Amino acid sequence: MHHSPTLGRLALAALLASTAATSAGAVELSLLRFFGDCQADYGTVTDMTKANGECGIITALTNKFNAENTLGATVTAQNVEWGAYYDQLTATYSTGNIPDIAVMHSSVMPNFTSRDLLMPLDDAFAAGGIDKADFAPAALENATSDGKIYALPFDLHAILFHVNMDLMTEAGFVNADGTPRLPASPEEMISMGKEFKEKTGKFYIASEAQAAEGMLIRLWQSFMWQQGVDVLSADGTAASIDTPEGLKAAELIKALYDEGLANPGLDYSGAEQAFLNGEAAILINGTWGVDNYNAQAASGQAALKNYSVANVPAIFGQAKVWADSHMWVIPADPSRSAEETEAAVAFLKFLNDNNFEWARTGHLSVRTSVINSPEFAALPHRQEYAGTVEAATALPQVQNSRAVFEAMFTDFNAMWLTGTEPSEALASMQSSVDRILRRNR
Amino acid sequence: MSALQRPRKGRALDLVILGVTLVVAALWLLPMIWVVSMSLKPNEELMRSTSGLLPIPFTIENYTNLMRVSAVPLWLFHSVVVALSMTLMVLVVSSLAGYAFARLHFPFKRTLFVLTIAGLMVPEHAVLIPLFTMFADWGLHNSHTALVMPRVAVPIGVFLMTQFMRAIPRELEEAAELDHASHFTIFWRIMLPLSVPALTTLGLFTFIFAWNDFLWPLVSATRADMFTVTVGLASIQGNFAFSEGLGSVMASAVFASLPIVVLFLIFQRFIVAGVAMGAGK
Amino acid sequence: MTRRGRHQATTAALFLAPFMIIYAVLMVYPLFKGVWISLHDWELAGGYREFIGFLNYEDLWYDDLFWRTVRNTLFFVVITAPTLTLVSLLLALAVYGEGRLRGVLRSIFFMSSVFSVTVVTLIWSMVLSPDRGLLVPLWNMAGMQPINFLGNATFAMPAIALATLWWGVGLPMALFLAALSQIPAEQYEAAELDHASRFTVLWRITLPSIRPTIVLVAVLQIVAQFQIFGQAHLMTQGGPANATRTMVQYVYQTGFRDWQVGYAAAIALALFVLMLGFSMLQLWLGRARDEA
Repeated sequence: MHHSPTLGRLALAALLASTAATSAGAVELSLLRFFGDCQADYGTVTDMTKANGECGIITALTNKFNAENTLGATVTAQNVEWGAYYDQLTATYSTGNIPDIAVMHSSVMPNFTSRDLLMPLDDAFAAGGIDKADFAPAALENATSDGKIYALPFDLHAILFHVNMDLMTEAGFVNADGTPRLPASPEEMISMGKEFKEKTGKFYIASEAQAAEGMLIRLWQSFMWQQGVDVLSADGTAASIDTPEGLKAAELIKALYDEGLANPGLDYSGAEQAFLNGEAAILINGTWGVDNYNAQAASGQAALKNYSVANVPAIFGQAKVWADSHMWVIPADPSRSAEETEAAVAFLKFLNDNNFEWARTGHLSVRTSVINSPEFAALPHRQEYAGTVEAATALPQVQNSRAVFEAMFTDFNAMWLTGTEPSEALASMQSSVDRILRRNR
Repeated sequence: MSALQRPRKGRALDLVILGVTLVVAALWLLPMIWVVSMSLKPNEELMRSTSGLLPIPFTIENYTNLMRVSAVPLWLFHSVVVALSMTLMVLVVSSLAGYAFARLHFPFKRTLFVLTIAGLMVPEHAVLIPLFTMFADWGLHNSHTALVMPRVAVPIGVFLMTQFMRAIPRELEEAAELDHASHFTIFWRIMLPLSVPALTTLGLFTFIFAWNDFLWPLVSATRADMFTVTVGLASIQGNFAFSEGLGSVMASAVFASLPIVVLFLIFQRFIVAGVAMGAGK
Repeated sequence: MTRRGRHQATTAALFLAPFMIIYAVLMVYPLFKGVWISLHDWELAGGYREFIGFLNYEDLWYDDLFWRTVRNTLFFVVITAPTLTLVSLLLALAVYGEGRLRGVLRSIFFMSSVFSVTVVTLIWSMVLSPDRGLLVPLWNMAGMQPINFLGNATFAMPAIALATLWWGVGLPMALFLAALSQIPAEQYEAAELDHASRFTVLWRITLPSIRPTIVLVAVLQIVAQFQIFGQAHLMTQGGPANATRTMVQYVYQTGFRDWQVGYAAAIALALFVLMLGFSMLQLWLGRARDEA
């Protein structure tokens, strides 16, 4: 930058002019996120009652902030496909378009905090009026690194059993209190699955199962924790994959496919479709689907009419289920101005204030005030999976968690896609993950 | 007998071959027809079933939605700008260098030519990472410059132009030289016009290459408003997009391909002819 | 040097400058810089750089996944390069000639080459989907379970090869058509007078005349297919179980997903060396037969 007297005077004049004006000049903020692109349906929506689903709600929230904030800030969102999100975010540090706000999984945060790529938010929280004490302790802890807060916790999400009650009734798998009867042991899972198939002729389980899809790895991790084994050590240097417990869990999942209890050809949308079309009784998917499936079932247009949700059962003993957390971060950018930072913090506060709206998706809130509120309790189906909060277990926050995740499902999915033996798959997973962890500094 | 005529013997065999080729061509077209058909069906219908080559029920809502909110036109703009600039610059740079190698004498000519040809062996991905860091250091990512410049100095371009120009008979230039015409005049007035076939081939290949460039724009143009068609389409292909708007995704793909298909249909007569004379040796 | 010589040298410098400068800065320098980077533990963001000498290459040598990608890439080249060359040659022979019909056929086969890779992968991912693909009605009619081509370790690479074939035949076909049009008519007339069979004409006249083009196409195909990225990245993401993970994909994932730019540079250079070897081999074979 040149420092000429004329430029200096111009800058001063501009500053004076801007402070004299009632509203500051337009502050443009860039938001990087996944959650989908639904401009066609929600591009102009600001009424939260009209927004549904992750994409709809976050788009409407962004629109609402743009319409209501007093700083003259406009947030423009760039949506990136979920699988490519972190590649993109990382690239922006080199390509000069570092976003002002970005979503981040708590499991991935270490990659960024260890390299000083995020802005610490302690001061921002204080200045923006965000109450730290309101966050669930675990959530705040996940957002903290080296004693500093680096992210705004937004939700806790886990995998669930989404259940088609009509099919369960047909198979006679309903308890006296109307809840679905779910397996309590690995043997039961297979026997009940077979019984279900005999009685209804449909698939017991539906899940995404293609080469690059990781839902079943999350289930497998849940089964590992249920047996008391830590998949990754807390310091992120060792992985316990190729173990007897891992084998049991892997064999159970493979058996689902071997016994014809699940369709191995489904991808994410195919699995959802199968569930909505009444072709499978249980869909293994996350908390983010609750609002969607509830709406579909209520609309009467899907074959799914009687929808219920259940915690992933403690098939291997303890009640544990895979969970992760969405947070919002402000990536470190030396060229960001003070106004932009202020506006970004204001956006974070706005999101935090509207935490309840986000919880409508099906995700669990991380603010105790919201969790204890009557509105939250009144949300459909929430009581059915209230146990998930206790059971929620996340992988320890280690570097390269994305790479670890991908290495795991790459070899795991081979079990039903290519007929690999579980022991082989686990051995391969162990060596791939070891190789990745070795590079962690 | 013109160059494209066939010997008369074996008419029956000819017909059989033609028949087989027609079947292959029909199969070849099938995927394209299917995709276009899906783009003309409503998303809800496609969630139920994707079979059927005829677009019934019919709708143009996928396309009208596209016009309203989609970024496809912006992607097209970037792709066109990048492809045109790259093609133009490659043609200019390659023909200039080709003339030098074909007609001029200068020290180290042989060395420089070998150095250029050696570059044919270097895959673009061997220099992807260093180029990425270089452009990052210069702060030039997310720009047309970054998307075009690394592809301008292509050895194959120089190679093609050199070979072609070498084969042009010298009489015309000798006449010009007698008139004391400068090399640049000779280049501009004589060599370039005569090189149109080679230029067409090179231009065509470059344009298509630029249009299809994927990995480099993927890592360099990370801002949504700088996406080219290739990168933009990849960004909407994720899991979630497929479940909701299959028709919309297909419409985007069709719309994004229209300009280049139209271009191709217009210029197809020149394509084979141009290639014919360009690839002469 | 004579005055005229010096004058020519200056002119030559001017003519060559645009190319040479860009070439040096954006092609030669990066190649050396790539080697330099590969000698470091270098991260994509955050500024961490540490010189580690040949450690990346040592790592590479023991890296099972790397060798897997080498095998996958070689497999892919072996199934696509000859096939593409052969199919485009056959198509060129079939559609060569006058007449509107042949013109239309030429257009059809060339058209698939103008699509961008993301369109092609979109089309073929849908076509091959076991759930909603083009072939599903056929499987249902035959009463069979649809094969999940892209999710099957044996079929995934061939499936990608098929998509690549559909996509890539156009340009080599055009090159062959051009070469065919250069064969002097007299040769065919002479064959006719000798009542030579179609096959003899093909084998003795047509093919030998276009042999340089065949070699050129083969080399270009090898160079192109070694660098496959888009199709594997978008159709199978390198799966199932790394069955379709290619070398360029490994470079991308190591550099841009795992932040290990130094290691990625090493992989890229290994790819370069491999391709160089193959291209030289192909050229040498071509020349050997020329001299024979």
